Formats: sequence, structure tokens, C-alpha cells
Amino acid sequence: MQMPDLQALQRGDAAAWDMAFPWLWPAAFGAAQVTLQPYFPAEVEDVAIESLEALVEKVRELRSVEELKPLVASIAHRRAVSLLRERFAKKRGDGKTGTPEAVQGAAMIDCPDPTADSPLAVLEQKELAERLRRTIRELRPPTDAIMMDRFINELSYEEIARKHGIPVGSVGVYLKRGLEALRRIWSRREES
Amino acid sequence: MNDDQFFDLAMKVIARQATEAEQAELDALVARQPELKAEFQRLQADVRLAREVLPLVSASQATAPELPGYARGRLQTKVQETLGRPPVPGKAAEEDALGTLWKWRWILGLSAATAVVALFLLPVFTRSAPPMIQVAMLDTAGATRGSGTNEASLLHQTWEKAPVDSFTGTEALHAWETNWPAQNKRPVVKVVFDRAAGEVRILGHWKGESFTKTFLVEQDLASTLEQAKSFIKQRTSQ
Repeated sequence: MQMPDLQALQRGDAAAWDMAFPWLWPAAFGAAQVTLQPYFPAEVEDVAIESLEALVEKVRELRSVEELKPLVASIAHRRAVSLLRERFAKKRGDGKTGTPEAVQGAAMIDCPDPTADSPLAVLEQKELAERLRRTIRELRPPTDAIMMDRFINELSYEEIARKHGIPVGSVGVYLKRGLEALRRIWSRREES
Repeated sequence: MNDDQFFDLAMKVIARQATEAEQAELDALVARQPELKAEFQRLQADVRLAREVLPLVSASQATAPELPGYARGRLQTKVQETLGRPPVPGKAAEEDALGTLWKWRWILGLSAATAVVALFLLPVFTRSAPPMIQVAMLDTAGATRGSGTNEASLLHQTWEKAPVDSFTGTEALHAWETNWPAQNKRPVVKVVFDRAAGEVRILGHWKGESFTKTFLVEQDLASTLEQAKSFIKQRTSQ
């Protein structure tokens, strides 16, 4: 899928947006899904659509087309976190029972707010987008895929080495460099 | 035990994939060297951060699922409300549409003619054209040390005709990486030696396609540069 023309988007060109929305959708949907899927899967699509609408309002502030996906992902993430917090607070506050949502909410009362200690949750949306953009730029293939396989898919060093066709001894090297890059990008507020 | 072995052991323990013996080995190590406790805690925090950030990174680069059909109308309405221009009424709109139609006919005609000319001329210009290579070195610690000079001269030796630009910040390097010369008659390749990451990155454009490849400096820079050079030759001779 082709990258959209930022200037055409900023002019409000309907055809350009018609191409851009499907291109941006996976980023908005995926970012909302990361936070909401375990608790409110039915809300994922709505949050993603609202995030694309919010992006339309911010598009004139952008300087590069490469900023689009990180921005919409960060908007979706922030909205998903807000919705989750709001629902957590509400369920704790009134403890309703009976409706399907309330049953789901009752289960939520027993588990801590998953966003409470998140280092991402304290960042402003613009700052989050910028750090996300830098992370995408600095975690180059295959480091990003190796890190996903280790920390998200929980593969062993041996499984990762086989999958990526690299020596087992190199897996740790990639992980170490990847973690150092993340620490550099995400731990210092003043640099963003 | 060296740093890398400690790192790998810590990764296993953090992922709860360590055996009892490995867990005991780490405990003993931390007991002997208390400063490793702080390092272990830092790695735990790093892994937690990675688990939060990586799904977002992955989402930002995802290509599925598809946009649901019902969302298009709502989103286009938002575009119209936020950025759209008011529609041209009545006859003026018709004239505008006719004007646009003629303009497009001219553009299409000229494009077709250009394409035919290009079809005949392009092979003449592209045959055996050597790639344009640009080289840069990123050294976030500054370029004053002796090893940096040696590395720069290795880059010079590998690509004799290419100037080597030095950068100390990733922002400036990014600007360099995204600034491509208006060049389509021969391949254009950028080579970046990232000293801190210990890797050589290749970014190239040729025949309307982009390609990238990262080589880790595992043994020495000279052999990594040779690998990179072979890769460039292979990609640009196709």
C-alpha cells in the first residue's frame, strides 16, 4: 500500500484520505487492541475510528508523512488507556451487577488497573508519538523482530536463533542492544 | 562470568525460563557481587518497558486488519468538516469539472508520451551504471578518538570515491538518511556505520524499489564492510 501524500491530506483532499484511512487503520486498531482486548474487545473498533478522527484534526501540525502512523497509534493508545481507567474507576465506584458489562466489570474489580504503573501512561500524547517514531527508526530489523519474539512471544534463545537464522550467541547481542536503545529513548524526558 | 553471560542468565530468570541451577547461579553471583543486584533490577525494568512498547511499535507497522466499510463515510465527513473546502455551486461547479477533465486529458497524454520515450531510453542509461554510494558514520560519543579515525579510514578504503560524513546525533543522521538525491539513472545507496549499535546499515533505492539490510559487527569492521559491499553489488547489479 502506497504512503499517502501529506500535503494532499493537509488540504483535505478526499481521495488522499480515502487512500490514507486503510493505510492508517491497522496502526490505530492495533494500538487500541493492545490495551483493550482483554477487557473491552468490543470497544477496540470505536476507539480506532475516534483516533483516526482525532488525527484529521492534528494533520496540519505534521511535517513528515512518517509521523502519521506513530501519531495515530499514540492517540489510540491514550484513548484506550483513558477508557480503561474511566471504566475501572466507575466499576469500583458503583459496583453494579446484573448487566453483561457489569459482570465483566466485577471481574475487573479483582484485578489491578493494568495501566496504573505504566511508564507510557505518564507521557503526553505528543511525546509518546515522538518516542514511538524514534523507536521505530532506531529498532531496525531484525532487532525489532527478535525482541518481539523474546519479550512478547516468549521464545527461547534457541528458537529465536533457528527462526532468524542467526547463531545462538548473537541473540543476546541483539537483545542487549535493543534494550539499551529502548532505555535511551524512553527513560529521559528532556530528550524528547 | 562476563557481562554477556550475566545478561543471558538474567534474561532467562526474568522470563522464568531458568532452571533451578541457573536461578541458584544468579543468586550466588548477586550475593558475591552486590552491584549486580542493581543491574538485574535495571534489566527487569528494561524488559517491562519492552513489553509495553513493543506491541505499540508492532501495531504502528502492522498492515492488517482492513478498515471496516462503515467507517469510511464517517471519517470522510470528519475530513470535510475539519479540512474541507465548501463545494462550488451550480454552473460554476460544472465548468470547474470540465476544466479539470481537460487538464487531466493533457496530463495523461503527456504522461503516455513520456512513458514511451522513457521505455526506449532507460535501458541505454541504466546499463552497467555504477551505484552512487554515500557513507556516514554515527558516533554519539564524539569523533575525537583514535579508533574512530581508524574506522573512518576503513570506510574510505572500502568506498574510495564516496565522501564519509560524520554525525554525533541521531536527528542529523536521520535527516541525512532521508535526503535522497534526485537520481534515477543509477542505484543510490547509503551506508551507515553506527558505532554505538555496532552495526552497518545499508539503505538503497533502485528501479523504484527500496532495500535495507543491517550487518552486525560481530568480528571486525573490515569484514563486515566487505559483507556490506558484496550485498550492495548483488542488489545493484540485478
